[in-house]
Amino acid sequence: MNFVKKTAKMREMSSLLFLVILFGTVGIFNPGFLTPTSLINCLNDSVVFTLLACGIAFTIFTGEIDVSIGATLGLTAAVSSTMLVNGSSWIVAVIVGIIIGAVIGALNGWGVAYLGIPSLIFTLGTNGIVRGLIYVYTKGAWVENLPAWFTRLSQFKIAGNLTVYYAIILAVVIVLSIILAKTRKGKYFIAVGDNASGATLVGIPTNKTKLLAYVLSGVFAAVAGLIYSSRIGFITPTAGNGYELRAIAACVLGGISLSGGLGSLIGASIGAIIMSSVSRILVFLGFSSDYDNTITGILLITIVVVDALTQNRSATKNRRQRLMARTALTPARGDKQHEH
Amino acid sequence: MNINSSLIQFRSSIKSTVKRWETVLTFLLLSEFIIFSLANEKFTFTRMLLSINDIISICIISLFVTFVMVTGGIDIQAGSIVGLTSIVIGVSWQDGGMNIWGAVIVSVVIAALCGALSGFFVAYCGVQPMIVTLGGSFLFQGIALLISKISATESYKGISGFPESFTQIAKFKLFGVIPSQLLIFIALIIICYFLLHKTKYGRSVFLVGVNHEASEYSGINSRRVVMSTYILSGIGASIAGIVLTAYLGTAKSDIGATFTLPIITAVVLGGTLSTGGKGSILGTALAAVVIGVLRFGLPLSFKISTQYLDIPVGILLLAVVIGRAIASNSKTYAAFSKLFLRKKNAD
Repeated sequence: MNFVKKTAKMREMSSLLFLVILFGTVGIFNPGFLTPTSLINCLNDSVVFTLLACGIAFTIFTGEIDVSIGATLGLTAAVSSTMLVNGSSWIVAVIVGIIIGAVIGALNGWGVAYLGIPSLIFTLGTNGIVRGLIYVYTKGAWVENLPAWFTRLSQFKIAGNLTVYYAIILAVVIVLSIILAKTRKGKYFIAVGDNASGATLVGIPTNKTKLLAYVLSGVFAAVAGLIYSSRIGFITPTAGNGYELRAIAACVLGGISLSGGLGSLIGASIGAIIMSSVSRILVFLGFSSDYDNTITGILLITIVVVDALTQNRSATKNRRQRLMARTALTPARGDKQHEH
Repeated sequence: MNINSSLIQFRSSIKSTVKRWETVLTFLLLSEFIIFSLANEKFTFTRMLLSINDIISICIISLFVTFVMVTGGIDIQAGSIVGLTSIVIGVSWQDGGMNIWGAVIVSVVIAALCGALSGFFVAYCGVQPMIVTLGGSFLFQGIALLISKISATESYKGISGFPESFTQIAKFKLFGVIPSQLLIFIALIIICYFLLHKTKYGRSVFLVGVNHEASEYSGINSRRVVMSTYILSGIGASIAGIVLTAYLGTAKSDIGATFTLPIITAVVLGGTLSTGGKGSILGTALAAVVIGVLRFGLPLSFKISTQYLDIPVGILLLAVVIGRAIASNSKTYAAFSKLFLRKKNAD
């Protein structure tokens, strides 16, 4: 158990180290990047991806995946913003948004956990349906003219330059991380992803845990949708398109294993910061933002390949150690036989 | 012994499911035709052939992605390779001064290399296929955009003005009716069918999907087989890119960005197991046509806006996987068969 904790810590630390090295390197080329304002803006800009990455992290912990979060973000953003434009109270809009996210998540969770459908296939299907629903709801038009107080909220700052959104999300992530690491039920997610049948055998409700993971993923995406509309100020029908892929990439960068059972929300948040800083870094290095996708792709592939290779190596090392231990025993037995 | 018996077992199981599933798909296709033509008399076969270009890319790519999914992998980078192919043809022809056919060959080689890169990471480094091809889709999309910036033409306009001989790929019509795209599709179905179902290579693709280790022990270079399927899927995407570029008459870096969902839907709907080991080219081809007809018929016969078409495709995908999950669930299956048996007894 201690060993697992240690490795989990190491994985986060390596992401953090990567982040520090990345930012440091950029700082060498352009010291302007390392000013407090610029760094805190990196955090502020990562808020949507932090939410998406932390949400999808729950499903990845359990060994599944959810590619419908980008569409969920788009739908909740469209619906809640339209309600705000039409003058309904913000509480209602927020609640409706969260319910939409939870319902989509519950549908995904039902299909994956209780019907046993491969998660990528099922969520790809819901992704298509939800994306289509955005067009049905908005009739292909943009949602514009959001109330001024709503868009101004995204500029509201506490403690220097930190936006109130990021401060809240950071607090939520820290609290959730403690729950996941310290409480009995919090550990269910990792346990299910590590060994589903083993988890069932020790009495963990595997299906319920997976369902809850998907609901959480949907709710996080819904909240991300609300913050997205507050930050951007208008919603196109393609809002959030491809965000799911970037959120998965953020999780991978944050040291979360896609086979499940390994990783933490802190890691996901660090990955989200790296992910959303790429375009800012490019600007500071004097490249055009055309390199955005290329750099993201290279980062992602490099990280996963290095991760896989080091895991393979440690697996082979362990196996060799076991074999060595066994061969060390065999001659001893043989010697005894000789004595007879 | 063990491997032999499991081989026979999976062969027979494949045969029976394929037979059943392909009939289902054929019925689905026929009922689509009947419903759509009843709803609107403008829905005819010849009219559908005219708009074949909207669906041909998905049809072509899904044939090749079937290979990947039979080995238990997944390929979500094919869509971005379509754009890369298109822009490589355009830039190497217009700005590189190459012969158009030389440019086409270059683009196919590059697409194959893209597939090989991802395939290498999947097969030899043991990285999950979904993540590698996810990274690949970013990378190749990005590279396509960068290549488009090399060109003297503004990237949003796209490179056009291709020679007649090239655009003829998509304009040629056999007997004045059958478009070349259909001929290409049929030819590719035949090639893929033989490759997957009639050759030693195809058999090893299946065996790798059924049991990776067993195939390794039986002397198959399973890593090379896995890698080769990604190369094939890259080549398939480049063929689709060539056909699409020829039809549009413009080379752009972002065509094909929205193909991922329909491609995976076609392959899964075609009866390929996403866990590997089961699948058929004919099933995929039929499923791709079913989706294509759906996307063509719904706007024409029921006045459904093309923007909404993700909904029926998504519902189709979910209905198929849910239906299959219920059918394979022993409890519900037992209930179904009980019902069926009772009926028989009553007769």
